[in-house]
Amino acid sequence: MGMGNVRKYSALIAVLAIVAMVVTGCGSTATTGGTSAGKTVTVTIGIGAPLTDGAVALGKGMVRGTNLAVKQANATKEIKDLGIVLQTVEGDDKGDPTTGGNVATQFVSNPSLVGVMGTLNSGVTRVAVKIYKQGNIVQVSPANTAVDLTQMGNENYFRVCTVDSVQGPFAADYAFKDAGKKAAFVVDDSTVYGVGLADEWAKQFEKDGGKVTGREKTGDKDTDFKALVTKIKSTNPDLVYYGGIYNSGALLSKQVKEGGLAVPVMSGDGSFDPEWIKLAGAEAAEGDMASNVGLPIDLMPKGQDFMAAYTAEFPGEVPAAYDAYSYDAANVIIKAIIVAAKDLGADKVTSTEGKKAIIAAVGKTNFEGVTGKVTFDSKGDTLNKTITVYAVKSGKWVPVSK
Amino acid sequence: MNFTLSYLLEQTINGITLGGLYALVALGYTMVYGILLMINFAHSELFMAGGYVGLGVLKLLADPAIAKGGLSFLAPMQAFFNSGTAGFVALIAVTFLISAIVVGLMGVFIERFAYRPLRHAPRLAPLISAIGVSIFLQNAALLWISSKQLPYSRADGTSFVPAKTAFTVFGVSVSTMQIMIIVTSLLLLAFLDTFVSKTRIGKAMRATSQDREAAGLMGVNINSVIALAFFIGPALGAVAGVFNGMYYGSVKFNMGFIPGIKSFTAAVIGGIGNLRGAMLGGFLLGIIESLASGFISNAYRDVIAFIVLILVLVFRPGGLLGEAVAEKV
Amino acid sequence: MATDMTRSRSVKRPAVPPRKLALWIVLALALIIVPVTLQAAAGLGFLVRILVIVGIWVLLALGLNIVVGYAGLLDLGYIAFYAMGGYAGMLVGQAVSGRLGGATFWVVLIPAALAGTLTGLVLGFPVLKLRGDYLAIVTLGFGEIVRICLNNDLLGLSNGATGLPRGVEQVVPPWPANWLADNVRFPTPIGEFAFGTNLFWYFVVLMLIIGAIVMIRRLDNSRLGRAWVAMRENEVAAAACGINIRTQKLWAFALGAMSGGIAGVTFAYVQQFISPESFTFMESVFVVCVVVLGGMGSIPGVIVGALLIRGVPDLIQGLMVAGVIQLSGDATSMITGYRFLVFGLLMVIMMAVRPQGIIPSKRRALELHPEDDRTLAEEDMQLWDTSHRDISPDDV
Repeated sequence: MGMGNVRKYSALIAVLAIVAMVVTGCGSTATTGGTSAGKTVTVTIGIGAPLTDGAVALGKGMVRGTNLAVKQANATKEIKDLGIVLQTVEGDDKGDPTTGGNVATQFVSNPSLVGVMGTLNSGVTRVAVKIYKQGNIVQVSPANTAVDLTQMGNENYFRVCTVDSVQGPFAADYAFKDAGKKAAFVVDDSTVYGVGLADEWAKQFEKDGGKVTGREKTGDKDTDFKALVTKIKSTNPDLVYYGGIYNSGALLSKQVKEGGLAVPVMSGDGSFDPEWIKLAGAEAAEGDMASNVGLPIDLMPKGQDFMAAYTAEFPGEVPAAYDAYSYDAANVIIKAIIVAAKDLGADKVTSTEGKKAIIAAVGKTNFEGVTGKVTFDSKGDTLNKTITVYAVKSGKWVPVSK
Repeated sequence: MNFTLSYLLEQTINGITLGGLYALVALGYTMVYGILLMINFAHSELFMAGGYVGLGVLKLLADPAIAKGGLSFLAPMQAFFNSGTAGFVALIAVTFLISAIVVGLMGVFIERFAYRPLRHAPRLAPLISAIGVSIFLQNAALLWISSKQLPYSRADGTSFVPAKTAFTVFGVSVSTMQIMIIVTSLLLLAFLDTFVSKTRIGKAMRATSQDREAAGLMGVNINSVIALAFFIGPALGAVAGVFNGMYYGSVKFNMGFIPGIKSFTAAVIGGIGNLRGAMLGGFLLGIIESLASGFISNAYRDVIAFIVLILVLVFRPGGLLGEAVAEKV
Repeated sequence: MATDMTRSRSVKRPAVPPRKLALWIVLALALIIVPVTLQAAAGLGFLVRILVIVGIWVLLALGLNIVVGYAGLLDLGYIAFYAMGGYAGMLVGQAVSGRLGGATFWVVLIPAALAGTLTGLVLGFPVLKLRGDYLAIVTLGFGEIVRICLNNDLLGLSNGATGLPRGVEQVVPPWPANWLADNVRFPTPIGEFAFGTNLFWYFVVLMLIIGAIVMIRRLDNSRLGRAWVAMRENEVAAAACGINIRTQKLWAFALGAMSGGIAGVTFAYVQQFISPESFTFMESVFVVCVVVLGGMGSIPGVIVGALLIRGVPDLIQGLMVAGVIQLSGDATSMITGYRFLVFGLLMVIMMAVRPQGIIPSKRRALELHPEDDRTLAEEDMQLWDTSHRDISPDDV
């Protein structure tokens, strides 16, 4: 063997050694990291959300909301008396169905995991929910708005947010009747969420008597809307509706105004985020509208408490669109865990029997959450169908609908 | 919708602006390909890096929030850069210069450590290495800068370049940004063309791209020529990256991906390895996309762009300005 | 074709040495025992799914390996065939599942393979005259065209971004997945073994992979395989020897596309769902990485490549998410975040250390390439005086 080969092989071995070290390094911390103090039972709630790709700001907000709920629950006497320690584990689905499917399988494999708070993307849920169903894991989504998700006979699936067919028409009614908009150009981001919302919105807007001056598709990672803006401008609308999330939508808003078209952009819950204003710039965002599910946090009976706890736990963070929903969704699961633990005993919670009991208990959920009263119909949809339309005023989202 | 002449003109101007950006990025692909016969997959990430470096420089030089946030020594400098036309021109010039140099050096560094060891390796090895660099840079930006999309503006939301309409002719509005992009890209392209065709170093580059070994035997320092190509390409890419941020309003760690594919397409349409081809391809692709979006459908703009690519290559296999390569026996 | 096959069979093969035979038996047993054990072990079941996804990628990469590794054509839009297979299989499957029930998946393998092959031919016919990187960009464009058209529901068949199956339609799992899941379960010392869907799919994918490998090995020794080698070595010389370059390339493209189509429909049925976001350009790039990193033209190389590229990142996250290893939230976020950064770096290092891939093809190693002058120089060095060792080959 020549010198060159020796060098090559030693480098190869070095690479393999690094990989091995990473893996064993994980293993060694595992032995020290495992908590099994006394007779407490560790019960895990999974968080399925996009954390490194896709709508990361929303995904991280979901993690914060869930962690807050779990932390508060762990501090209650009820949980302590039951001998339960709750913990969360993050599963990064990147907003991609295949990755989401893998995450779901991993969650199901986790012996202490009984419920999943997630996902953000309806497409991910389509794959994941079947896997959870097989594993008797309850899934409570704070954000899936695709209408048909609850129509597929998955008794383990629930959501605390309302759907496109409620949100879209509400926002369209507001635009036509309250804001007095008569001609709208409708754009979507080619995702399940964006297309669904834009379709529902446009349908209602036309039914109300408004005119849809044009319909176009963009990509969810697009940043260049210059040609589109020129096209929108040529149809003379007095409103642009965007079905999609904030990161592209805000740039559309900015470019619409830069293109010399002084009309607001309206969007849905995925755009109801402070990032929208930051990205578009306060000046361009002024007057833009977004619908969101439920009432504004500070108008909710429990909203003040939530905000106080939230800012204490995560200083400097502002809740994104789904933080409060994730908080409620996590509480749905936590309350069901408590019910199951009381019925069967804490050590049975993570058994198949316990998991089934949790699914049954979630179906009977009834409590006053941050986003409103949390109860589900027989298919798993929330009965809370309140929608609020917000508009940007002086650089802030302000509720404008009644 | 009424398709008027002014509508056509406005879409064409949108297209030329976009095309200018494509052309600047395409040059980086074509230069590297011309000399090393490799697709520098990481080039799109250097474009992204340009956007980030540019934003950083702009914030340091002209965002009062940075000065107030502890770096108060910047305040007098910021006062100059934020005042009047002279300050604005200086701000833009300094930003482009620094971004181009920093990203150019990144390019040289990447070539030295990721590609040079592979110069004699099988042909696809550098491609994979480049994909590795690309994944690394994207994740580095994601982890070490931000996973969020960052606005290309001051902390208070005001843009560094006011997005005003510069003038309106026949109902066509043209913005300051568009003029800046079109003029700068044309100037840089003309400069590069002269540099490569007239200067000694330019000749060495052309010689190297024709036959690396023969050029080496003739006394051309191959390594310096390659390093230079890896400086100029990314530097131009960085300029495009800064423009991209200013024009569209944001930077994100994965922003390079789509413009990267498009610019590479532009380089191939023009005839890869051919500098003028890359420029022609860039402008052509930009205009085609813009018109496709304006007159057919925004949803199918990429489809139309790629169909044009396939048609060009089926009928002119070497690209528009490229020569059909004689097969070596 | 048929005559070529018989001819290659008639070539007398040397008897398999006992040590090699033992190795094969061990490997075969491991392929069965390991996933079964994982399935039974509490908390490790997710690894079986990772194996299924890796297996689908092996299938994909084996197909691309025909195109890139054997025929030397760089295809950056290979995922289009995967998509076509998946969609065709799903569409036909949903139309006939009412009548066929559990047999649906097994039947739609055929239309899926056909869809892949046809797409390969349709694309290949006009563009295969292009050389090298021009072909790469055209295939890239084609891949994007397919994805965008699926996403925009061009023909009204793909259901746009939402994907298939439509609305409340269900995908019928293939026979005998349900029977196995219901009837094969028994306690073991490490946990209860249940023949879950993932394990079922593992064996389906394993069978498909073995089928593909057998086919490829046959091809490799056939007239077609030798023609590909000649073509890859020197196209002009090959043409001069009477090889019809265009036909050979089309064969490679079509066969590679067929494998992609089969992988696609398998993927669609494993997920019971298919949508355009699974077929982005980055996926095409990853398949190329699997082939090149593993070793072009090498079957074991492709398998190792798929395990590393598709398996390891999921494995790292999976171990934490499934609670096998427990780390603090910060450590989890850090490892989840950094795994791709390290992955990119490893790709660069790997290529610098071993550009021919992890397990290079023996046949390719025998070929001469103009770019192999470094290898030749190294061989010269070894033959030359040993005292000159400290001169590095770079200086030659």
